[in-house]
Amino acid sequence: MRRDLAIKILKPFKTIGKFLTEKPMTFPFPPISPVLTERNRGRHIYYPEKCVSCRLCGYVCPNKAIEFELQGKDKETGRLIVKTQVDFAKCCFCGLCEDICPSGALELTPFPFLVAMDKKELCYDWRKLSEKPSLTLPSLKEKKGIIQWARSRSFWVINFFTGCCFIEAVPWVASSFDMERFGLIATASPRHSDVLLVGGYVTTKTLKRIIRIYSQMPRPKFVIVLGNCPMTGGTYWDSYNTIKQLDKYIPVDLWIAGCPPRAENIGYAVVLAMWAVQHGYTGKEEYINTEGGKYAVPRAPVRISNSEYVVEFGPQHPASGNFNLTLKLEGEVVKEAKPNVGYLHRGFEKLMEYRTWYQNIMIVQRVCVLDGAPYELGYAGAVEKIAGIEVPDRAKYLRVVQAELSRIQSHLLNIGLTAASAGFDTVTRMTWGDRDRILFLLEYLTRGRIYNIYSVPGGVRYDIPIDFKAKAMDVIRYMRNKLKVYDDLLFNNETFIVRTENIGVLPKEEAIKLDVTGPNLRGSSVDFDVRAKIPYEAYGDLDFKVAIEDKGDAYSRMLCRRKEIEESLHIIEQAIDKLPGGPIAQRKAKDGSSLISFLGKIPEGEAIHCVESARGELCFHIVSTGGISPYRVKIRGPTFDTILVALPKVLKGAKLADVPVIYWSFDNCPADHDR
Amino acid sequence: MNICEMLASEFHVECCGKGSYVYVKAMKEDYVKIAEYLRNNGFKRLLTVSAIDWISKGVFEIYFIAYNFESNVYVKVSIEIPREKTEIDTLSTVWENASMHEREVWELFGITFKGNSMLKPLFLEDWKELPPFRKDFDWRKYVAKEYGLRYPPTPRLIVPKKR
Repeated sequence: MRRDLAIKILKPFKTIGKFLTEKPMTFPFPPISPVLTERNRGRHIYYPEKCVSCRLCGYVCPNKAIEFELQGKDKETGRLIVKTQVDFAKCCFCGLCEDICPSGALELTPFPFLVAMDKKELCYDWRKLSEKPSLTLPSLKEKKGIIQWARSRSFWVINFFTGCCFIEAVPWVASSFDMERFGLIATASPRHSDVLLVGGYVTTKTLKRIIRIYSQMPRPKFVIVLGNCPMTGGTYWDSYNTIKQLDKYIPVDLWIAGCPPRAENIGYAVVLAMWAVQHGYTGKEEYINTEGGKYAVPRAPVRISNSEYVVEFGPQHPASGNFNLTLKLEGEVVKEAKPNVGYLHRGFEKLMEYRTWYQNIMIVQRVCVLDGAPYELGYAGAVEKIAGIEVPDRAKYLRVVQAELSRIQSHLLNIGLTAASAGFDTVTRMTWGDRDRILFLLEYLTRGRIYNIYSVPGGVRYDIPIDFKAKAMDVIRYMRNKLKVYDDLLFNNETFIVRTENIGVLPKEEAIKLDVTGPNLRGSSVDFDVRAKIPYEAYGDLDFKVAIEDKGDAYSRMLCRRKEIEESLHIIEQAIDKLPGGPIAQRKAKDGSSLISFLGKIPEGEAIHCVESARGELCFHIVSTGGISPYRVKIRGPTFDTILVALPKVLKGAKLADVPVIYWSFDNCPADHDR
Repeated sequence: MNICEMLASEFHVECCGKGSYVYVKAMKEDYVKIAEYLRNNGFKRLLTVSAIDWISKGVFEIYFIAYNFESNVYVKVSIEIPREKTEIDTLSTVWENASMHEREVWELFGITFKGNSMLKPLFLEDWKELPPFRKDFDWRKYVAKEYGLRYPPTPRLIVPKKR
């Protein structure tokens, strides 16, 4: 009794103590380690004295970013002597050039800051490339007039994120990087925004919408572009459905290079933009080029009768992603929902036919930016089946660690999104901030924050760093404590339960019939997980439970994800503990040919390989005719049936206000079903 | 009895594969019948319907992949149709979600599925060229023509200007 009283009295002091001693979740800017790890794949550095003029890096580059400057001819052998230059407006920082370089003349540094107002400045010749990179931030202290100062401190950014690079704008919304300290706010209305942030590649369908949004914005308007795809085509330079140069259609003020550009790089660009605006910059001259109406938005017919009307959900909506639903309403109740997709269609399957088996390892995870690792596993697994390679045990365990970390960060992102659509912004900032801790770990292991490019046919690319285990244990402990906080704030919160329970119900039989998989299927009490059913990699040796909930509503699906995070932490712990020794890659196929080489061939055959991604079952069907590139690749993504077939059925009869919650409880990845 | 033996007893099929992944080659006439047979024998889920363009043989391979929860087996059933007459019956009478997959194949390969009422553009708006996933439609040529960007097949060698 007395003890209870003591606890009661001491509680406020404990809270104050915690408040005073707890470190803030926001990372400092300009960044310091450990946010920016020394293992990140950033800008190249070139050592001209080491270069042997073999030009292999240029041949292997999937984006054609590496070019050569002719220096002369060797008199004895007659070979050309060249110096390397890299165009960072095309580079995707995959590191294949570094891997293939026989003399170590071309290396990747962790330096991520690459921003330019003119994209030609991003082409580094060999002299500039051999300089050691360094960062100088402009000083924002001097003031040049009150209007400029006010304008530079209150950018309103329109939140229409077009492609994959938006994923690095997410930390800026979250507690980890916190854009509001720079005065930036994400806004949904084009008529109130100053900055149009184009996040990543732009398909022809998206371009029409971008042009419309740009024309609706008030002056002065600024356009900031993330990533290389809108600059030169980037990774999708030969895709038939993405546009190659955005400045042909609308003016662009600032280009941020990277694939995707790191969150720190975006911060650097923001500081530069603030400096420029503070000094009186009001944007480039305005123009719009629709190529004679080719890229004008088709007019939607207005259909309003007394009882029925039509509302568009997306593609430019705070909670839609680059995806559109046409909702036919009667009062507040959805009568019919029609998905309209293709805003992110790049034609991945055929892009892979144009690249060699080796080059494909850097493109395959780009199918779905939210959860890239399973795509690497699926591709590598299918190729290994055709080539008859047995992967070393060590590589299998490392792949499990990579895949599970990726699953956790994807689930955290989704919990944040669903919480935001249900009106719980605090949880959104928290989960997305915690997600950065997981991404840090993922980068420390794989050298890639978003696109790992780690699992390759035959094994993995890099061995585990020595102090990885200690760092991982810290993060796992931190995450376990945080899960309790989420429980208090969200999962046991009556308001959230009322908001998500019994809405978007997907019955068991219906879920199976419509080919729904992953947490969405397990939320409808079906025990199906590829990791348990057909164990691939090292999942057969690890102990984990398949999280199942039985109601089939939005809350059950969310709870499934919450439980899966816990299981994934458990799996990672075991995998690191049990990690066997030995090699990390098997480079020879069964017929003796070398697989991990630029022009490596794979025997004739076909294979299906299925893995469990964060959104459900992901299958690769690959056909080889014995050449250096695949003949046909079919990617069966987890969201195609869930979103295009099951979601419209579930939405029938739902209230309009519940649509975003139901939509995110299915965890859509528009890039996955569009491919 | 495994799935290969079961199918061989009913249809004229070529079947290979071990473990959880089975690959079946069948006759064009049996396409829908096999699908019905599989559905009635526990293959409740259809994963995908897709196509392969074998341009040198002059055929399209149409295939579907289905999954059985009880026996834990993925089966791929494929048939061939000539490139000149790209028509095949729909599977949407067997599995409900087939119509959306067929819509994608219709758009990307130009294959018509008889009885599918959903054959409308899915990903593309106002596409007027050949179906883009056919092997005779070269993307790199199309990109060079459409966007005026010509990427050289080998890395560019720049000769510096003499001062």
